[in-house]
Amino acid sequence: MRAATIGNQSIFFLLWVPLLAIALFAQHAAAQEYEPSSGTLLFRSAAGDEPAPRVHTDIDMTVSGIIARVQVTQQFQNPGERWVEGVYAFPLPENSAVNQLQMQVGERVIVAEIREKAEAQQLYVQARENGQRASVVHQQRPNIFRTAVANIGPHETIKITLSYLQIVDQQGGRYSLRFPLTITPRYVPGVSPVDAISATAETPIALLNESHGAHDTATLGDLQPQFAHANASRQSVRFNINIDAGVPVEYITSAYHQIKIGNGDGEGYRVELADPSVAPDRDFELSWTPVVHGQPAAVLFRESTDAGEHVLLMFMPPQERGTLRTSREVIFIIDTSGSMSGSSIEQAREALLTGLKTLLPTDRFNLIQFNSTHDRLFDVPVAATADNISTARHYVMGLRAEGGTEMLPALTAAFAMPRSPEHLRQVLFITDGAVSNESELMYVIRQGLGDARLFTVGIGSAPNGYFMRTAAQMGRGTFTFIGQTSEVEQRMNELLRKLTSPVLTDITLYWPDGVTPDYAPASVGDLYADEPLLITARLPKQAQGTLNITGRSIRVWGRQIPLQTAESRTGVATLWARTRIEDIVNQQAQGVSDDEIRAQVLPLALEYQIVSKYTSLVAIDKTPVRRPDESLHSTHIDSTKPEGQNWEASGMPTTATSAELQLWIGTLLLLAAAVVFVGPRRQRT
Amino acid sequence: MNCATRIAVVVTLATVGLWQLASGLYIHAKAWLAQELIESAWTSTLSGERQVRPWPWADTWPIARLRIPEADVDLYVLADASGRSLAFGPGYWNGSAAPGSVGNTIIAAHRDTHFSFLQHSTRGQEILLQTTDGREHRYRLVETRVLDSRYEHIAVKVDRPMLTLLTCYPFDAVLPGGPLRYVAIAESISQSAS
Repeated sequence: MRAATIGNQSIFFLLWVPLLAIALFAQHAAAQEYEPSSGTLLFRSAAGDEPAPRVHTDIDMTVSGIIARVQVTQQFQNPGERWVEGVYAFPLPENSAVNQLQMQVGERVIVAEIREKAEAQQLYVQARENGQRASVVHQQRPNIFRTAVANIGPHETIKITLSYLQIVDQQGGRYSLRFPLTITPRYVPGVSPVDAISATAETPIALLNESHGAHDTATLGDLQPQFAHANASRQSVRFNINIDAGVPVEYITSAYHQIKIGNGDGEGYRVELADPSVAPDRDFELSWTPVVHGQPAAVLFRESTDAGEHVLLMFMPPQERGTLRTSREVIFIIDTSGSMSGSSIEQAREALLTGLKTLLPTDRFNLIQFNSTHDRLFDVPVAATADNISTARHYVMGLRAEGGTEMLPALTAAFAMPRSPEHLRQVLFITDGAVSNESELMYVIRQGLGDARLFTVGIGSAPNGYFMRTAAQMGRGTFTFIGQTSEVEQRMNELLRKLTSPVLTDITLYWPDGVTPDYAPASVGDLYADEPLLITARLPKQAQGTLNITGRSIRVWGRQIPLQTAESRTGVATLWARTRIEDIVNQQAQGVSDDEIRAQVLPLALEYQIVSKYTSLVAIDKTPVRRPDESLHSTHIDSTKPEGQNWEASGMPTTATSAELQLWIGTLLLLAAAVVFVGPRRQRT
Repeated sequence: MNCATRIAVVVTLATVGLWQLASGLYIHAKAWLAQELIESAWTSTLSGERQVRPWPWADTWPIARLRIPEADVDLYVLADASGRSLAFGPGYWNGSAAPGSVGNTIIAAHRDTHFSFLQHSTRGQEILLQTTDGREHRYRLVETRVLDSRYEHIAVKVDRPMLTLLTCYPFDAVLPGGPLRYVAIAESISQSAS
């Protein structure tokens, strides 16, 4: 009887260990309730005394053919008792033309007007101080925008809706749209742990001095996004997509989200997220493939405005199936900075290994990695012998991500590498593009690349799409996105096809006599395999007759497009202006001064009503609502931490070991062992 | 409970218990031993070498020496604050100001090993930070407080040299990984050459 009791006791002890662990956990949870006190050095994001406005985003996309019109509605909801101003940084696709903004409070709708940026900000600040409801949308970086909404009353919701147009991407037969939902924090070069490289000759002085008024909501200073872990009660997103591809579609897929597909209005399909509460912590990508019947049709859209006739042309040139005879010299550059930590570096490693696998013994290669400093595998490019490839594989396996993103010196080193005249130089750049000095980088790429080609591979759940696209454009290469490890092989193979197939050159467009087109982009570059020809133009008046297109890959080809087949479509003029503005802004890489660029962009952006580096949309309600004696509290709304990144919400390292826990568990288990061991002896005596 | 079962239970409990104790102690031993090894790497660093790895397979290196004479603290600061490096010593938080320069330099370490002394630190204590060029920068501790890493952030861009020592909080919590952090904020007193 007694033995049984003691036996029970030891079993009781065994139960005790998990119980104790639960108790300790409860104590730990209690410690989390700690209310932080105020401090001067430490910034408080709103969660402390005044709750931040919540932001709910609705994204309505209407795809018709190759043009997508997207409406982004942000609802700023003030859960507190005071008047607040909400400031929110968010990404949009890099090729979006933002041209409308509406502010809605209750039933009232106020339509925004386009203004020069500083003027828009001034109008906004004035309205804010007067107690009027107001909102403004600025373009902060080419693909990062910022909305500010002033005087959101207690428990009030203000809705702002901005609209943009975008041309759908096409690769081979696959059409795709990306919508970025969060931002990977950008690295500001110049601050470095190693004294020796803190200010190299390559680090632009302007960047060292660049100020980041992270919390200054009143100025136009660069706003660094802040991050919080995904929390559906603070941030949520809903998609509502209608696709009318114009032709029957074979399948619709989304690479990173589960989707529901139904029948839409009329001909098209309706797409929604299967789980509407999913965290906005990665890019959304939707792709569809039309059923192909013979030769792919050319798309020709037109729109007439006071400024003239605008046309948009997209068609897939005939594909030559052949391989390149020239041997290649490939320089792989891989970003191993801190923002690549987590799943990104794994994808990057896989992509590199796939890239190495494709080299032929006649090819040459080298590998450069960079974070705060850069490091090359070989001093000069070497032949892709089995030995060298094996050395490279080892090197790649050992790559880890930490430190800064000093991209400039790495690019300079890659461009300075001795070049073999018999080989075609290709630079393969694997990165998430989390940099803030894009324009300096574009300048270096433009100036340093020579006749080499640059191909960007964007890695991770929220890569900098603007960097990938523009760097590839400057480097006369292509861009590829890889968002998860399972995609690596397919995407790298697609890229490889571009790297090893003949390039389409000498593309020329012949218009009917008397038509002088104003192209955007200004010139048609070379096209890689599976790439469509895409160009917009402004004509003085509507053109009649036939457009002739010729080009050359292995053979010379030509194509006639009757101009009267052009379909009228709203948005073509906006897209032309957007492309033209991008073209002008990119001239910075050729050394054109900011003043000259501004002088060209500003009138164009105002005429076509597009948000740009120099223009913003501002909406102001006429009647003041906040009394002068009531104060306004300004808060900055966090973005969601990109999925797969290792660091904590605010980037603070975890600074506790499991030592104490293990010592506790160890001691308790030994005690339990002692009790079981001693128990029966007592029984005997 | 029969004899065989009892022995099995005792052996299992004792084995797992000893293993847990040993791994707990190993963390402390590693933390202590690493600092001893880093000392010679720091000596080479001061004589002009850069990125001296304290042991051949190390993936980090010392970039500063942190001393608080009053608290009898003498630690070598490693080049990053990743979990791997923090096992061996306090880590410099990449992205914060370079040690000794204008801006806020942030150094993090585990609350139960290298930075356990922080719970007893008081305002006014002098903190010395030696950089790779041999110069010793002097700071005075002005504030200690607890912050919630979910809602609060540490400013890096400040107009004067500052030093922030960061560790987890509470110091005696048994489970790792909570959101609270303990910070000791120090302001530069002067930059004396040594």
